[in-house]
Amino acid sequence: MSSNPGSSNSGSGGVASTVAGGGPCGACKFLRRRCIPGCVFAPYFDSEQGAAHFAAVHKVFGASNASKLLLNIPAHRRPDAVVAICYEAQARLRDPVYGCVAHIFALQQQVMNLQAELSYLQAHLGPLELPTQSPPSLLPMQLPVPPHSLSIADLPIPFASLSMPAPYDVSSPFDPTTHPSPWAAGTLLRRTVDPRQFSGGSSLPSTMGEGDGDLRALTSELLGTQCPPQLPDDSPLPSTSEKD
Amino acid sequence: MSTISSRCAACKYLRRRCPPDCIFSPYFPSNDPQRFACVHRIYGASNVGKMIQQTPTQMRAQVADSLYFESRCRIQDPVYGCAGIISWLHLQIHNVESELAKVKAQIAFLNSDANRELSFRPQIEGDSSFNNLRTGESSVG
Repeated sequence: MSSNPGSSNSGSGGVASTVAGGGPCGACKFLRRRCIPGCVFAPYFDSEQGAAHFAAVHKVFGASNASKLLLNIPAHRRPDAVVAICYEAQARLRDPVYGCVAHIFALQQQVMNLQAELSYLQAHLGPLELPTQSPPSLLPMQLPVPPHSLSIADLPIPFASLSMPAPYDVSSPFDPTTHPSPWAAGTLLRRTVDPRQFSGGSSLPSTMGEGDGDLRALTSELLGTQCPPQLPDDSPLPSTSEKD
Repeated sequence: MSTISSRCAACKYLRRRCPPDCIFSPYFPSNDPQRFACVHRIYGASNVGKMIQQTPTQMRAQVADSLYFESRCRIQDPVYGCAGIISWLHLQIHNVESELAKVKAQIAFLNSDANRELSFRPQIEGDSSFNNLRTGESSVG
């Protein structure tokens, strides 16, 4: 479906109007509206496949919310944000109950299993080492194991009591080892989080309704104790003032 | 006055009457206003309501919880949200797998080294020529 470039037809049931020199972006095409110059979605949703991607974003977040999310982010970070938002939207459409949280749980469990295996093998390694001939390079590196951070039971959400989707493909586009992308690389470079920063004493309540403190603690543990510098403010929690 | 005190957090936030069959009421109690504020900020009340409505009743609590989790992640990290956590977990998996490979190699090395020592150990007991050397006796008749 295409329209004449430069036309200004903005009928509700008609073809989306175009900006002079090009067709509407995928978002405006989906919304059947005129794609204005400076459209926030235009750089990220092309007119071919962008419409399909935007459809997912629209269904989960809504066009207005997506626009607000992007406008609150510096322009140079928006491509990454669009990828993440599209991923979350598509994950939510695939799994309407858990969305991408199911993926987080699966990966979390995988990390725990690997760390348990590593601890076991490191313990097994100890008796085998001969004190006279072990060069320093052969000594096992003690990978710090966060005592509480990656535990389903610590989450305030009672997922532990529910069955997760059995075959969950944890190999995602965001696997930095198999699917390197500028987005993932940027994330890895920025998030050099040392699990030793986790505080071992914080036990999170597992009950619902106490979400604020424990979810914040969980998110802090998963993201690192320091807030990412790119956050616009230190206390971004929305106000609870009543609105119409 | 209507039952203002029994409004759920969503209806309080939206400044509306909370009907008896309010879709939000079971999952956004009035004692946790931040919970609905977060999901509203990211998804909007209408989308949240639709997502809950389209889910079987027994799974709706999980929908609300996961939406809250994702919205909190998005508020904490406006660029990457939950995807940042996923990427970080992938990195952790990669790191731990690397360590596992190293430790397994070390174990294999030490095991093979120990086996080599056992196989080359000299047979001191019962070696008559050695014993003769030790005592100065000659084995030559």
